[in-house]
Amino acid sequence: MTDDKVHLHWNLQDTGVELESSCRLCAVVLQSVQKVSFQQTSLNMSCRKAVTSASSNFSLQSLRHLLILSSLCYLISGFSERDRAHHLMTTYPLIDGHNDLALQLRIHHNNRLSQIDLHDVSKLATDITRLQAGHVQAQMFAVYVMCGAQEKDAVRLTLEQIDVIRRMCTKYQEFELVTSAQELKNSKKIACLISIEGGHSIDSSLPALRMFYQLGVRSMALTHTCNTPWAESSSKLYSVYQRQNNSLTHFGKAVVEEMNRLGMIVDLSHTSWETSLAVLNHSKAPVIFSHSSSYSICNHGRNVPDWLLLELKKKRGLIMVNLHSKFISCRDEANISHVADHFDHIKKVIGAEWLGIGGDFEGAVSFPKGLEDVSKYPALIQELLHRNWTEGELADVLRRNFLRVFEEVEQVRNELNSIPPSEVQIPMEEVQNPCRLVLRPPDPRGLPSDQGPSSGPPGLLILAIVLLPSSVFLIE
Amino acid sequence: MLSTVISAMYLVLWVSSCAFTSAADQYMTRALRLMSETPLIDGHNDLPWQLRKQFNNELNKVDLNTLETTHTNIPKIKMGRLGAQFWSAYVPCDTQYKDAVRQTLEQIDVVHRICQKYPETFMFATSSQDIMDAFHMNKTASLIGVEGGHSIDSSLGTLRTMYHLGVRYLTLTHSCNTPWADNWLVDTGSEPSQHNGLSHFGKQLIFEMNRLGMLIDLAHVPVAVMNQVLDMSRAPVIFSHSSAYGVCQHKRNVPDDVLKRVKQTEGIVMVNFYNDYVTCSKTAKLSDVADHFDHIKKVAGASIIGFGGDYDGVTRLPEGLEDVSKVPNLVAELLRRGWTDEEVNAALGNNLLRVLRKVEEVRNMCNLKPCVCLCYQLKFCANTPDSLCFALRICAAPRTLFLDKGEVNRVYTSTSVL
Repeated sequence: MTDDKVHLHWNLQDTGVELESSCRLCAVVLQSVQKVSFQQTSLNMSCRKAVTSASSNFSLQSLRHLLILSSLCYLISGFSERDRAHHLMTTYPLIDGHNDLALQLRIHHNNRLSQIDLHDVSKLATDITRLQAGHVQAQMFAVYVMCGAQEKDAVRLTLEQIDVIRRMCTKYQEFELVTSAQELKNSKKIACLISIEGGHSIDSSLPALRMFYQLGVRSMALTHTCNTPWAESSSKLYSVYQRQNNSLTHFGKAVVEEMNRLGMIVDLSHTSWETSLAVLNHSKAPVIFSHSSSYSICNHGRNVPDWLLLELKKKRGLIMVNLHSKFISCRDEANISHVADHFDHIKKVIGAEWLGIGGDFEGAVSFPKGLEDVSKYPALIQELLHRNWTEGELADVLRRNFLRVFEEVEQVRNELNSIPPSEVQIPMEEVQNPCRLVLRPPDPRGLPSDQGPSSGPPGLLILAIVLLPSSVFLIE
Repeated sequence: MLSTVISAMYLVLWVSSCAFTSAADQYMTRALRLMSETPLIDGHNDLPWQLRKQFNNELNKVDLNTLETTHTNIPKIKMGRLGAQFWSAYVPCDTQYKDAVRQTLEQIDVVHRICQKYPETFMFATSSQDIMDAFHMNKTASLIGVEGGHSIDSSLGTLRTMYHLGVRYLTLTHSCNTPWADNWLVDTGSEPSQHNGLSHFGKQLIFEMNRLGMLIDLAHVPVAVMNQVLDMSRAPVIFSHSSAYGVCQHKRNVPDDVLKRVKQTEGIVMVNFYNDYVTCSKTAKLSDVADHFDHIKKVAGASIIGFGGDYDGVTRLPEGLEDVSKVPNLVAELLRRGWTDEEVNAALGNNLLRVLRKVEEVRNMCNLKPCVCLCYQLKFCANTPDSLCFALRICAAPRTLFLDKGEVNRVYTSTSVL
């Protein structure tokens, strides 16, 4: 029997008085959630016609020879492009940079895994069957909490999302939680990685960052659609923590340094270009854009302009292309060809060795025709093959680039292992809010077990007794 | 003649004092020997809180080898033969409904960092096996207990992640009610009861703690909660730093009937040294603390006794137990009072190890044989193919419960501290 009295506070419709006075995000109206739940629609996949050989004006005999030769070639190679794509992905299965399944679990099921069977979930774009069909060997699942929780209970909500991913990845034997490049490579299952989407989750606390790392988080996007007290978002949706010419503060740099020291990947998706540049200049380890596309192809603020791509390449980073239609074609509709344009363009500007795929499934509503869910990745690879991408380049895009970056991040961590954990704290004036307590000066009575009904402050009495004779002495 | 008498008197006095000292030395020698065989496991020390208060958790500004402003430092730990310590991750009740979770994470982090900074002294531990491993390496096993249910912000997900961070006990309340449990001040009459002990959610929390293998700590809870938890919990419980109500009638202490229930359920009561709980006054002596040990042994037996000094969590400590280096004197006193070696070993560490092993056993059994139902109190258990789990009334499927809105949004006056 389920306890149907309890409500996920995110679903509360009648927030009432507590919203103003409380530090608990009594959210709300789901349409204010920036990531909207994905409405799965069933689609007929368009079939690509196999490449046919051109008709010729040769003589019949030549034609016959040609036909025999073609058949032989076909037999020898054995594959159409579609097959090639699948075969390639069997050898080099995908590591995808961003999936918001955890958010959907929260919105639809209050994180109650007992209510859902993740093998087949028709209303979502992601389930185990389709991940397997899409040759997804590793998935970075995003821990996302709403920007509205900043300065409220973002930390607790973050812990809950980390918890649901951990539970999901231990409950299903098809999943395996991994926390290192080696574990990822060794895994024979769908490897789960945990990433945090938004620095507001750490509540400007490096200890919280460290504890998230200990819980298995291996990547963090410095912002979501809101500024933090120490970094800027590409979105101006929330007018919080606005600063002039200070896209990454001193504390922000300390966050990046601590992430380098821990071996946590710095993710620049959602951050402003200025913050991205500042991070690229400061980070000792390569950084990624876990789900961003090319600004030149679609000039959406979430995408990455060419000059920033060049900076990313200089620092050996990675851009994992986001498949959401609005970032691909700048419209509500898109197709695979539009997506491939992003890949072509980025390859042209910086090369295929700095590319990956970060689908953003479950984090957005509209996806290109032919790429509606996680089983459809081979269709994208097929298109790229059609555009003469080599198998080596595609193997890089599918997984080798990500592994290289992850390993370099771990290498930097190893090099920094003599550095002690950072004790930098954010100045109070940068982060003051009613839900953040300032530790008061020591109160003689304020010790953990001393709390409760007590007699007056003995300290003052003693002080008076001490001062009295000394004042007498002074008078004399 | 007179001088002879006086000399004789002096001689007698001197001889008897030597005898006395050697007898005392003999007990101390025995105590130290026992403490080298069995680790002293202390249930509660607030050094992390002092580090936060005095140094803002900036460990680079403090050297635990020379720190003089706390009851605890490394030389004193060595002298005091501290084999294992549950360090308290405590944050004040003021943080409830504000940033309690983040601050608790910061306290958990500081314990980890202490172990990293002083690896020759401390070894981070999360199990009974770890405690013994550390002891055999001559290090102090360092565990974590979170002091106050307000630290989990009414979230089982938070509880689970804290368990994963190494937290091995949760004190259900500190000195404030949570949305799901009353605190000990309710027993003093100075605060109203809001839940008559534990709410529905509070009870679910107990089951989840059993399933996880997290010790349930009943220090700071009212008698109603003590009894409810003793009714429900399938694993033994602890009182990490509470003394005997039969000796000092302070509401932080454990009444005799509860002591008997702890004995029945094979739990442990780890005696607090704070003067106010020892003698119900501002002053106390070491022998007053020993009286608590004797009393608990008399009422319920030596198998439920432990040490929970509450060092660095209190200001007033007994003469003879002023800091963590003095604890062997208490052990010697117990021996002097006729405690057997076995009883002393039990109090030092064997009782706690028993409790911890049993809690781990319950966790392991549950994970090996998962249930399929959300069950509590047997009434709602259905489709449980696993009869062992059925008998344990625990589900391996983790609970994801959120509070009823009414429970969360009770009116609490918020203290403005900025």
